[in-house]
This record gives sequence, structure tokens and C-alpha cells, in this order.
Amino acid sequence: MGSLYSEHLTWLHRVPAAIKLIFFAVLGALQFLLDSGAVLGASALACTLLFASLGRATYPARKLVLSILLAGLLIMAFHSWMQQPMLGLVSALRLFSASLLGIALTVTTRTRDLLSVFERVLSPLQHVGIRTERLALQLAMMLRFTEHFFVVWKRLDDAHRIRTGKAGGLRILAPLTIKMLISARRVADTLELRLGE
Amino acid sequence: MKSSRSLALVSLFAALMAVFGLIPKIDLPLGVPITLQTLGVMLAGCMLGPKRGFQAILLFLGAVALGLPLLSGGRGGLGVFMAPSTGYLIGWPFGAFVTGWMMNLLPGASPRGAAISAFIASALGGLLTVHAFGVVGLVKMANLTWAQAFFGTLVFVPGDLIKCVLCAMVVHTVARGVPDWHFGGRVLK
Repeated sequence: MGSLYSEHLTWLHRVPAAIKLIFFAVLGALQFLLDSGAVLGASALACTLLFASLGRATYPARKLVLSILLAGLLIMAFHSWMQQPMLGLVSALRLFSASLLGIALTVTTRTRDLLSVFERVLSPLQHVGIRTERLALQLAMMLRFTEHFFVVWKRLDDAHRIRTGKAGGLRILAPLTIKMLISARRVADTLELRLGE
Repeated sequence: MKSSRSLALVSLFAALMAVFGLIPKIDLPLGVPITLQTLGVMLAGCMLGPKRGFQAILLFLGAVALGLPLLSGGRGGLGVFMAPSTGYLIGWPFGAFVTGWMMNLLPGASPRGAAISAFIASALGGLLTVHAFGVVGLVKMANLTWAQAFFGTLVFVPGDLIKCVLCAMVVHTVARGVPDWHFGGRVLK
């Protein structure tokens, strides 16, 4: 399972994940406290420049940026249609800036570095009985089984196609779920042996 | 319920959500797309119950926030939580919780009874709850009025009702294929 992280190193890759996360979270939150079109315009320009400074590292997220641009345009069009073009511009600029910051963080930070920050942030929850140290194990299991179940889905689809000449579509949803539940039991038994609980 | 069983079920349902994101969306003639991931929310609630259903969807959203392109259309990263659809995403774990809670309360001894309960639970959790969060998200993120956001979200209701029916059909088949499965997390207590 590929991540949106880019191996093309940039200046932002060298900044520690925790600092980037705090910085972008504060900047992102500020966008939602501002109402001035001029200030938000300047902020959007600054975010665009920051994003552009990452060069080729932004390539994995091109589709995502396009979808955000499209969402922004739709919001602007809707508000213009409702006779409130300025409100549309402010909303679109705000979303565009905050999204660009989020994408910049994602393409320049390894998943495991972000995970370790999240584990540290969530560690106080251990006092109320939530086992945050298992987050990495759960995530790894989830990714492993995503690939596995996708292969199972394709196999069921192929089998249905051979039998009927048509794609399985939603008809194979129930057999997939049953296979998954049976796998879940088998995996749970194995884990029980390994973890002893 | 043993911790390892809970761990496996939560991870595997989060994986099912990810698989639903890999399957191309279906476009209805009226232009409303059906992405299967809301169906994953409904199924997680029906199969796992409120607590584990909530955890499974939260784990999935955590993976998305970490940058994995698991949402339909290959979207991922923190940027997706700053879009007009943010309310719907935040509503997913709560939708799974309400679905599981209702599934736990409603009768489900026979396959037909489980399917009817699954339809009602999905409509209340996966549809009403998720859309309630979605409307708040549209108001806060896209600056729509409450009325505009409410009518905007209605466009997706027909597709989501189809997903409630699909969820009920899956629950019916599972109830027949895995007869010792206790829906709504009854066995997880």
C-alpha cells in the first residue's frame, strides 16, 4: 500500500514531524478564525508559494490538489449564484490554504514518523485503559489485510465473471464479508497464541 | 471478549473500509455517486457493535490522516479533513457507533429479523447520523446556511438508502452463512 509521501527530498523533509504538525495545525486553525478576504488571499498566496517550493515532491498529490481546486470553484460558484460572491471567495481561499498545508505535511513526512508523533500525543490515554502502543500493530494488520481482501474481491469477481459472463459487482459483497469474518476469527486465534490474551 | 479477537476484528473492518475505497465508485443515472465506504460504516456497526465499530472506523480515518490514499478516488492525508466533506468523515465513526448500538437493541434472532434490524440500524446510524454531521460540516466548512446544507445533503439520501438495503442483504446472507455470528456486538460483551 503506497503512501502519498514523496521520496524526492525537500527542505520541509528535514523539519521534524512534530514541529511540522504543530505549525500546520496552528496555521490551519488560524485560517478558520480569519474573515478578511485580503488577509486570506495573502495567506493563500503564501501557502501556494510554500507548496510550490516543494517542487517534484508534490507530484503524488496532484490529483488531490485538483480535487480541492474543483471543490473551491464549486463553493465559489454556489455562493455567487446565491448573490454572495465574497463569502464564496473567503470560504474557497480558507479551504484551499488549509488543504495545501495538510498536503504539504503529508508529502514531506513519513507515515511512521507521523505515527510516532500520534502515539506520543495519545499516550496519556493509556491512563484510562486505551492501549495506544497497539496502534502500530493495528495499522500494520489493516494494511496487510487491505491487500489480502482486495485480492479476494478480485478472485470472487473473476469466478463470478467465468460463471455468468458478467462482473460480480455488489453481488459478491456478501461472500466477501463472510470470508472476511472467517479470516478475522483465524487471525484472532493466531494473535491469541502470540499475545497470550 | 478477548483483546486479540477485538484487535483482529477492528483491524479487519478498517481493512474492509480501505478495500471499499479501492473499488471504483458507481454513478447513478441521476448523477449521485455511490462510494462503498459509507456501506463499510454501516457494516462495521452491524457486525462489530458500537464500540468496535467506532474503533474500526477511527483506525481507518487515522490511517487516512497519516497520508495513506485510502479514501475513494485515492485521497488521503490531513488535507482531506479540511474540505466541505469533512463533516461526513467525522460522522463516520459516530455513524458506526449508532448503527452498532441500534443493532444491539433491535431483535435479530432469525436471518430475516437481523436483516430488518440492520436496515433500521443503518438508516439511523449510517444515514441520519452521518448526514447530521455532514450538514454541520457543510455549514462550517463551506459557509452554507442550514437550509442550503440540509437540501444539499438530501441529494445523497437515495444512494445511501440503497446502501442500507445492501447492508441488510449482506447481514441476511451472513446470518445464514455464519449462523453463530452475533450481530451488533452482542457476543463482544
